[in-house]
Amino acid sequence: MTNLVSFHEAFSLPAHLHANTPAEHRGNDRSDVKLLHTERKSGRIQDHTLTDLTELLQPNDLLLFNRSRTIPAQLVSETDNVTVRLARQLTETSWEALILGKDKTVVQLQDGVTLHVQGDGSEAPLKRVTFHGLHEPVLSFLHKYGEPIRYEYINTPWSLESYQTVFASVPGSIEMPSAGRAFSWKLIHQLKQNHIQVGFLTLHAGISYYEDNQWPDPLHHPEAYMIPAETITAIHEAKARGGRIIAVGTTVVRAVESYAKNKHSHQGAWKDTTNLFIQRETPLQLVDGLLSGLHEPHSSHLELLRAFLPDDALLSSYQHALQNNYLWHEFGDVHLML
Amino acid sequence: MKDVMVITGASRGLGKALTLHYAKQGYRLGICARNEEEVMKVKEEAIALGAEVVAVRADVANAKDVDRFVSVVEATFGTIDILLNNASIFGPGPQLLADYDEHMFQDVLHTNVLNPFLMTKRSLATMLTNDRGLIISITSAAGQTGFAEWGAYGVSKFAVEGLMQTWADELSETETEVCLVDPGEMNTAMHDIAVPNCDYPLLEPEELLPLFDHIIQHRGTVNGKRFDIDSFLEEAGQ
Repeated sequence: MTNLVSFHEAFSLPAHLHANTPAEHRGNDRSDVKLLHTERKSGRIQDHTLTDLTELLQPNDLLLFNRSRTIPAQLVSETDNVTVRLARQLTETSWEALILGKDKTVVQLQDGVTLHVQGDGSEAPLKRVTFHGLHEPVLSFLHKYGEPIRYEYINTPWSLESYQTVFASVPGSIEMPSAGRAFSWKLIHQLKQNHIQVGFLTLHAGISYYEDNQWPDPLHHPEAYMIPAETITAIHEAKARGGRIIAVGTTVVRAVESYAKNKHSHQGAWKDTTNLFIQRETPLQLVDGLLSGLHEPHSSHLELLRAFLPDDALLSSYQHALQNNYLWHEFGDVHLML
Repeated sequence: MKDVMVITGASRGLGKALTLHYAKQGYRLGICARNEEEVMKVKEEAIALGAEVVAVRADVANAKDVDRFVSVVEATFGTIDILLNNASIFGPGPQLLADYDEHMFQDVLHTNVLNPFLMTKRSLATMLTNDRGLIISITSAAGQTGFAEWGAYGVSKFAVEGLMQTWADELSETETEVCLVDPGEMNTAMHDIAVPNCDYPLLEPEELLPLFDHIIQHRGTVNGKRFDIDSFLEEAGQ
């Protein structure tokens, strides 16, 4: 396996492996998901459950979570027969958005609020839009009338709460940073009791799919992130103690490696916007391991995974996941590359 | 920069007194109430005292409203340091349980028990990730002793005490604390419903404020504790 195109075509996802129900609604706890472990050095593959992390990780390892909170980013205008998916916030009232349905320059929303299309966004098909007539913070309006973005494999309108991690506390993600979804506070407390360190940062995840077989290009899709001072200190202390930095989710890799690229030894809080595109050739400066969901053949997340595993090992892992009925997407199982 | 404090039921009585008191002290405030006009008025008063304030009309017994309110506060201030679970309703009164309307009973329990559960759970996401937080919930003497004709209100406060005791135990290994305040009998619209034509002296909401200051000053030692105003004033020699 030598190139991304061939990797993308190396597997297809059968319908029954699209997780369409949150774990806790499948009759279990939210942390009761399967964990596929691929050893980075040997390529060895093992089956676990997420709660085995307390044994798989070692004291001094630092597990980093993205605490960005999913906002209800999809608005429907029944008057105009248009669906708007917000993609990225530019100012309080100005956003990039994907507009599905009729071609409109003004979209009528609820409470007399209108959305004005101002021009093209950072890449097609995104548009730059502005809210007009708001009588409350835009986030309050979104919470009243918006819905979480749900893709075609979801056949139940799960609530916004289903699209949150338990630690989500900085509103701003268009889609849930889903690798952390399966963690419960109980599991996090157990990890801490086993002297596994835990830290938080924020990267507001953008939209992951433009419909019609179009995916965002990370280079044209900048995302805001913030790493608190205490997390930066924890990263440097873990490294100094010989612990490993394990990112929960590709968003965390993107934030930490963007920080490393810019200010490796900075000690205060670090806030920036990144368009870093991590791929097979990208050297990882700080992150040693990744816990991620399972990704579709054409997503850019899969490209990021190639920075952690050689193509052969990654493909073997995915074949193993397919054969062993691992579930894909935000409500699915997880994959530890360490 | 001063802490971010969130106060529910901030438009009247103790909630309003707390809002204006901590506005004077420079806290950044997130306040809510079910009546938009009233909560916006309190917001203006607090801003006039120099505070940064976010006010949202919200019914905190409704999970969607709780998420909307807390999310707006988080997006504005970036954190929540202190939560005061003040909102509650009395329901009909004085009234014998034998005469109590079933739907009203459900409404009082739903409002008074669910709101501190939803607000606490939602705010804990911020507090536990920050490794820092204080949650104060308002209870009542009727949460420990059943008083005739206080109806579902007293029953709901028994539940609030159980809720917060459970949380205090679960949070004992963390840097987030949960405690209870029994404010005694205050001169409020709610007390008028519970005890019409009251002929004994009542505390004004403002007289409670030193107790809240005391709890905030003693952060780190208050988890699981139940404070009552009578003992506090007695110890203070008042």
